[in-house]
Amino acid sequence: MKPIIRISNLSKQFRIATGERSAARYETLRESLVRSLRNAFRRNHHRSEEKLWALKDINLDVMPGEVVGLIGPNGAGKSTLLKVLSRIIEPTSGRVELYGKVASLLEVGTGFHPDLTGRENIYLNGAVLGMRRREINARFDEIVAFAEVEKFLDEAVKHYSSGMYVRLAFAVAAHLSPEILIVDEVLAVGDASFQKKCLAKMQDVMRSGRTVLFVSHSMGMIRQLCVRAALIDGGELKKLGPTKDVADYYEAMSA
Amino acid sequence: MNLAKSERAGESESPKSPASDPMTDAPASPGQVFYNLPDKPVVTIEASRSGVPLNLPGLWACRELLYFLVWRDVKVRYKQTLLGAVWAVLQPLVTMIIFTYFFGKLARVPTDGVPYPIFFYTGLLLWTYFSNAVMSGANSLISNTNLITKVYFPRLIIPASAVGAGLIDFAIASVLLVFLLIYYSFPVTWGYLMLMPLVLLTTLFALGLSVWLAALNVRYRDVRYALPFLIQIWMFVSPIIYPSTLVPQEWRWVMIMNPLAGIIENFRAALLGKEFHWLALGYSTVFIVLLLLYGSYTFRRMERRFAEFI
Repeated sequence: MKPIIRISNLSKQFRIATGERSAARYETLRESLVRSLRNAFRRNHHRSEEKLWALKDINLDVMPGEVVGLIGPNGAGKSTLLKVLSRIIEPTSGRVELYGKVASLLEVGTGFHPDLTGRENIYLNGAVLGMRRREINARFDEIVAFAEVEKFLDEAVKHYSSGMYVRLAFAVAAHLSPEILIVDEVLAVGDASFQKKCLAKMQDVMRSGRTVLFVSHSMGMIRQLCVRAALIDGGELKKLGPTKDVADYYEAMSA
Repeated sequence: MNLAKSERAGESESPKSPASDPMTDAPASPGQVFYNLPDKPVVTIEASRSGVPLNLPGLWACRELLYFLVWRDVKVRYKQTLLGAVWAVLQPLVTMIIFTYFFGKLARVPTDGVPYPIFFYTGLLLWTYFSNAVMSGANSLISNTNLITKVYFPRLIIPASAVGAGLIDFAIASVLLVFLLIYYSFPVTWGYLMLMPLVLLTTLFALGLSVWLAALNVRYRDVRYALPFLIQIWMFVSPIIYPSTLVPQEWRWVMIMNPLAGIIENFRAALLGKEFHWLALGYSTVFIVLLLLYGSYTFRRMERRFAEFI
């Protein structure tokens, strides 16, 4: 059996500004010029920067149809890993091979525009997530029914309640059909009954043979959905194995 | 730390066909389905080396997204307005009326015998398109931060869609030009054949500049503040309010250094049946092609860190 996701020696380094530059996330051209001039006259090129390894030598293979949960404390590098796999951030070194079409769901409602109607946003969001117009047309009714927003379809989404908004956004995402699905903590949307529906939909997706990699802080969800889990801490893969073992270990660790 | 490797050791490295593979040696999971995995990865992610300026197949694959983003920009611009798309005409129209009064009736700028309204409108039509496209194009990445940090697609789509939305406004505003041409009874000439290439050239110019400035804007927000000012100056050094023949012969080459000058002059020539300035057009074309290559090279080089800097 060949893995569908093969992550080898993956590392990502961030430079984080310290001292005077930490207040601003971007610098002006003047500051940049001054800095490069200043550095030119200095022996060592140590800037007021620190290097941070957000991911350190990650190795992970995921088999087709497998559902792998990523767990770990905040700032451990889980989301960075998902962003690298989604091609949003480029790794510093290492390699990832993906043997299938990928869709990432890092946030609910990416690309939604508040001034557009529900109907318009379904098309826009679908296109942003990589769906073809034909696919969206084919699943349109299903999406609307799932989100339970039939009545407000031609209303601008800025007038939606926040529950309706996330329901619609999740519905679009839930009807994607990639071979690999990358999901960041987005399942906890809507009220209890909608959450149950999301979970059921997720289980459907997983049963259909899709490979899913997902991050959650809800151990209950991880235990329920995943076959294997990976514990990431401090940018490193600390433990990988059957969900129960890894989840027990993590809970013991953080207790 | 190499936990995955130890797992992989149990598996043979020879490529087996997954279809004929029995499910037995797969990890236990309910309802597993196996697809035919391709031999080569669909996507390989690595730290990039210096790449090619354009990823044309990738862009072509995203043409529907481009369409949707243009559609979004146009829709959103005129949502909750009373006049809607009329705004696209209003901007050059009102400017034209003001110019006709001040620069025409009062200052009596020579226009080589062309009626003032049509002289100004031809220049303004193209200028309004160009300047709006560059302004929104240059700011397009930072106004789409949410997309850049959350989904992957070739980032060039974003400035391209901003320019594309400008093209729609241009088409709407052109309707008034048709009326003006009929009103002043300008005949349809063979020169009209040059209109399409000229509009295309303007589009490529706006695109080249947008792509370059948008990338810089991610790093240096100075672009956002400098651009409105530069655009304003640019209008005055372009032959919009006056014909380039107003500039003394020995200085005209300076005027033509501005690639937009050649385009606007030739746009007028095409519509009003004057002679083309081929040399100026050739210069503009070369300049624009080089800018487009340089702009997209810069863009591609900076693209991989957009999500970190934006």
